[in-house]
Order: sequence, then C-alpha cells, then structure tokens
Amino acid sequence: MYSTVVTCAHRTCIAALALWTLTPPVLAAVSAGQDAAPSSPLTLVTAGARTPLPTTMVAGREMIAIEDLAAHFPLAIRGETVADSVRVSYRDRAILLTPDQPLVSVDGRLVSLPAPVIRAGRRLLVPVEFIDRAFGLLYEEPIDLRKPSRLLIVGALRVPRVTVRYEPLADDTLRVLVDIAPATGHAIVQEPKRLLMHLEADALDVTLPPPPPQNLLESVRVLDADTIELVTGSRFASYRSSMLASTPASSRVLVELLSTAPAVSSAAAPSPRPAAADPPPFFSAPRPLISTVVIDPGHGGSESGARGASGAATEKDLTLAVARQLKHAIEARYGIRVLQTRDDDRHVGLDERAAYANNAKADLFISLHANASPRPGVRGAEVFYLELDRYGDEARRRARLDGTTLPAFGSAGREIELVPWDLAQAQHVDRSAVLARMVEEQLGSRVEVSRRGVQQGPLRVLQGVNMPAVLIEMGYLTNREQEAALASGAYQAALVQAITDAVETFRDYLGGGKAPATGRGAAAPAAPGWIARR
Amino acid sequence: MTARTLALASVLAAGATFAAAYVVLLPRLSEPPAAPVPPAAPAEDVEARKITAHLFFVAEDGLRLVSIERDVVFGEDTVEQARRILEAQLEPAPPPYASAIPPGTTLRRVFVTDRGEAFVDVSAEVRSAHPGGSLNELFTTYTIVNALTANLPAVTAVQILIDGKEVDSLAGHLDLRRPLQQNDRLVAGPPQ
Repeated sequence: MYSTVVTCAHRTCIAALALWTLTPPVLAAVSAGQDAAPSSPLTLVTAGARTPLPTTMVAGREMIAIEDLAAHFPLAIRGETVADSVRVSYRDRAILLTPDQPLVSVDGRLVSLPAPVIRAGRRLLVPVEFIDRAFGLLYEEPIDLRKPSRLLIVGALRVPRVTVRYEPLADDTLRVLVDIAPATGHAIVQEPKRLLMHLEADALDVTLPPPPPQNLLESVRVLDADTIELVTGSRFASYRSSMLASTPASSRVLVELLSTAPAVSSAAAPSPRPAAADPPPFFSAPRPLISTVVIDPGHGGSESGARGASGAATEKDLTLAVARQLKHAIEARYGIRVLQTRDDDRHVGLDERAAYANNAKADLFISLHANASPRPGVRGAEVFYLELDRYGDEARRRARLDGTTLPAFGSAGREIELVPWDLAQAQHVDRSAVLARMVEEQLGSRVEVSRRGVQQGPLRVLQGVNMPAVLIEMGYLTNREQEAALASGAYQAALVQAITDAVETFRDYLGGGKAPATGRGAAAPAAPGWIARR
Repeated sequence: MTARTLALASVLAAGATFAAAYVVLLPRLSEPPAAPVPPAAPAEDVEARKITAHLFFVAEDGLRLVSIERDVVFGEDTVEQARRILEAQLEPAPPPYASAIPPGTTLRRVFVTDRGEAFVDVSAEVRSAHPGGSLNELFTTYTIVNALTANLPAVTAVQILIDGKEVDSLAGHLDLRRPLQQNDRLVAGPPQ
C-alpha cells in the first residue's frame, strides 16, 4: 500500500520512488472524474527542441503528472511521513505537495493552485499551472506557460505570437494578413507549389485558421520551429508582400496571392467587399498602449543602498541584475522598447532618472529597490507609489484649473503642455495606484509579499515622472534568507516573471480592462482613531 | 589740587553714577511689574516639570510604528518643548521596540516658523548610519515628523535638515525638500 511508502521518508528518493511505483494502483475516487485527454498535449519548447508533454483532464481541469515532469526536468520525488505528502526536489530546493490540497509549499512558502493535487493510482496529478506558479519559482530558467497555444516555453527564447487571417477579394486575389507580436524579422521564399515564411525566432506561437476555398491557397502550417508553409492552390500565379505596420510591439505583414484568372471587366465587377475592420494585434498598432518602459535600478556608484545581513549583497548590484533580466524579458515577450536609467555601477541623481524617463516619453516607470529594516525578521516584497501631500494636492488642483500651455515655435496650432517639474506625477497617481496593485498581485503569486504589500510615500524618484510609476522593494536584504533568495537566479526569475505579467495586465487595463480590487496592503485613507497608542 | 582737577573729578563721578543708573535701574524700569507672588521657582523645580508626550518606535513586527507615552521635560515655549521631545525621541528605544533613528544621531537645532512649520536640524549620522530601505526611511522620517506634530498643536509640518542644510533625501528614497505632515498610516500598521 502507499502507506508503506510514506513511512520511509528519510531514505533516498530513488528507493522511495521505486516503492511508490511498485505499489498496486489505488484508484482514488478522482478516477471516476477523470475526463478524456485534452485535444493535444502541451509542447515543451526549449532551445533547439520541441517535446510533447502529456496532460489529462480531470473534472474539466487540465492536470499533469509529476512523474511526466520528472522525465523532462531533473526532479527527485519522494514520499513524506507527514500528511501523506510528497516532496519534489530540484537541486537543494523543494516543493511539498499534499493530495487533495490546492496549496503547495515552495521552499516553505505557500503557493495556491487552481485545483487540488490529486493522487490517481501511482501517479500524482497537479494542475498544469503548477509548472510556472510553483516549479517556476525553483527552476533556474524562466518558464512561460501559454495554455491557449499549448506551449510550455523554458528559457529566454524568442517565441512570437503569429496570427494569420484571410481576406478574399473580388478580383481573385487572396490577402493573407500575418500579425506578429512582438515584431520579428522575416523573409518569404517562393518554392514550387509553396511559399515559405521564415521568422527570426526559436519557436512560433501560431493561430492558423484554414484558408478559404478559393484554390489560391490550399493549406497553411508550421513547417519547422521558425517557418510557416503556405501551400499554394491550382489558381495561384504569383504573390507580392508588404509590411503594413510595424512597431516594436507588433508588425503586420500582407501577402497577396494573385490568380491566373482573367480580370473581370470593371463594368461587371461587383463592388469590392469593404475590408473588415482589423482587430488590433497584441500590442495594438499603430499606437500601442505601452510602447516604452523605463526600468530604474535603484542606487549605484558610491551610493550602495541597503546592505545584506551577511554583508555579501548590496542593493545597487541586485537592482541592476534584476533590471537587466526584466528588460530582456519585457522586450522578448512584448517587443516593446525598454530602457534603463543606468546599465552599470554609477551614481545617477534622482531627478536625472525621472528626466531620462520623461525625455524618452516612456509609458511606464518601474524603479527597483531592495529593502532594509532594523528588525531582521521582516521580509517580503512591497510596492510603492507616490503619496501626494497638501503641496501635491494643491498642485494637482492648480494644474486642472490652469491647464497652462505654450505655443510651440514654428508649428502653428501645436502647443506644449507645461507641467511643474517636481509634480509631474500628480496627474498619474490614480493609474500608478492601479499599477502598484497589479504588481503586488503578480508578485504575490510568485514570491513572498509583505503585509504592507502596497504603500504610499513621498518618493523623490517618482515625483518628477510624467507617467504611471511604481517603486518595487523586491525583498528585505536585512533578512538572511531573503538576502540569499534575492541573490539567487530563481528568485530573480520569479520577480521578473511577476513584473512582466503585471505589465501585460496594466496594458489590458489601459485598453479598457478592469482594475484589480484594492490589495491587501493597499494604503487606505487615514482615519481618526487608527493610531495604536500604548 | 586745582579747581581744574576738581572739575574733572566731578565730571567723572557724575558719569559713573549715570552709568550705574543705566545698567542697574533702566532694565528694571522697562520690565513689566514683577508679580509679587509666588517667588521664582528654583531651577531644579523647572527641570522636574514634565509633560506626557507620544514618542514613536518600530514595532516588534517591523511593519509599523507604535506610539508610546513617555515623560518629557517641560519646555517654556514651542521651540524648547520641541527640542525636549526630540531629545527624548533620540534616546534608545525601550524594549521590545527598536528606534528607526540611526545610532549616533544628535539634535543640532530646532526652528518653528509662524506658519507652524518646524525645521529639525540633525547630525549627519542620520544619513551616514542609515541602513537604507524605503519603509525604513519612512519610519525614520516620520518618527521625527510625528514626534512633533502629534505632541505640539502649533507644529503642522516638519522639514528635516542635516548638518544645517536642506537635503534631497535621507537614504535615496523620500523627498525631504519640503515640510512633511503627520503620517498616521505608518502608526496604524498593515492589515492583520
């Protein structure tokens, strides 16, 4: 029985796993609820390889067996004596799973899953979200689970989203519109009976509907990791292609397939069907909601910032390390421009950082810091946005009333808005608050967040920033465990993933999406009687 | 002794008398009438007079400030009382609390303007010995701000100076270029 396995918690994981797999299958009640397998397995995309990863549906939820994960990642699995739990280890870190529980412990921190862990015979099933939410915290490389496209991307790979649509025209031309996000270099090559579209990518995340029955295009499919094949039909004669729009966030390529059919006389030709309104690509062109992000690695140069409890880590080094990864992640995922206020170990003034972001006309400003406390036990990430005091409130009121503008020389009719330099953030505070809550929400799903998750303060670096802006304290360096975590690649990758996700949710919010509810640590208005006197 | 000598002596004597009268009597004439009772309190009694003030320290959970009542020496006016409160605030925290003000920090001067804005000038240790961190800097700053605004109705905002100079920031996070108002949210603490 399985109980014999869990009594040997302190033996080697190999022995435990062997016993575990030798036990007779115990078909739990969940077996009855086990649905058919999903339409296709997940595809594990790594550098140079694509591997199917089988999953199964249980009560409408897609689950994956830990054993199948262990076939692709160096995991050790063993039973525990407590609560029938199972320990999944990666290097020196571990995840503790308990059947029937929707929570797992990742290095002692609880992570919630959308469904409970299930034991099905000799296998332990977890929701597929376990992979990026829990295992992603331990693993050394970024993990990106794209459920709609059935991709599990491991590593910093270029995997653009490619969406193909068709517009048949009355003159026997087929317009093939290819949206690529982020914008990715491409080349189209004509071969007998087909066109090959090569993209500069490690893999493709594609949506390919079947072509219309026009005998110009028979089929479209992904040929290799980076190539889309368009098999031409019997009436195809030639093609022409052009770039309709391109921003770093997305590009739209038009491929027109031309037929050999004689042109219909203009008199008899029906009026061409009006082109359907193009749905916006991922970061909607031509004016994306977020096109530039400025990342501000706090401190630098002679200003080291907070120091680790052991003295090994300094705030200025950690913020720069995370900023570089974050820049890479946002660029790779969304293709938008990402700038850093510093990319080396040098002192940059607080006003200079704000000016840099303003001059770049950035849409988001993210300042990275690491925290310190006189209490070594304090831990957890925190997110700050600007608090307006009576001066700031007055400035915001005045700005609304005045609306001061100056005419621009040499450009009749164009005006330059005047914003008081050190109060530029006043008009963005409401959206900064939304951004702060989104960042906190995403951080909370991946790393430990302090009970003061979202806070306000008169933060100097944010005051002059003329865009939504937050300051993220990534953890407490004065806590020994957090100091070690902050210096680790896994924790940094989790931070990067969380902030990158928050950029997307904020982009959705700007596009008309819903703002999150007030976070658990969100600053509430001060009220009389809140002072805790002793 | 000649008549000339006598005249000179008379002039000198008159001058000395006038000077004595100027030094001794004139101030008394310009003072308000002295209250007949009670007699002036001895110096040690003035020192013994206390007020109860709320001082601020970092709580055990490290996530909020707590307000603790302490006896503080009475000050004759707002500036003197502010100085006394801040001196008490700069002393080590009573267990189990911690002080958010870096050790070695001393108070240099205090000014209070007619608009109720206090300027607190502290020594450079407040910055050089500060461990950093946004929350910690909030605690340090509002320990000083709240210590005055919570206890002195005449003080509505506080600006911190370091070594007699205005500063941009204390540890690279907060804006200290203008007076700050009392912050009760840090004292209330996070949701439990």
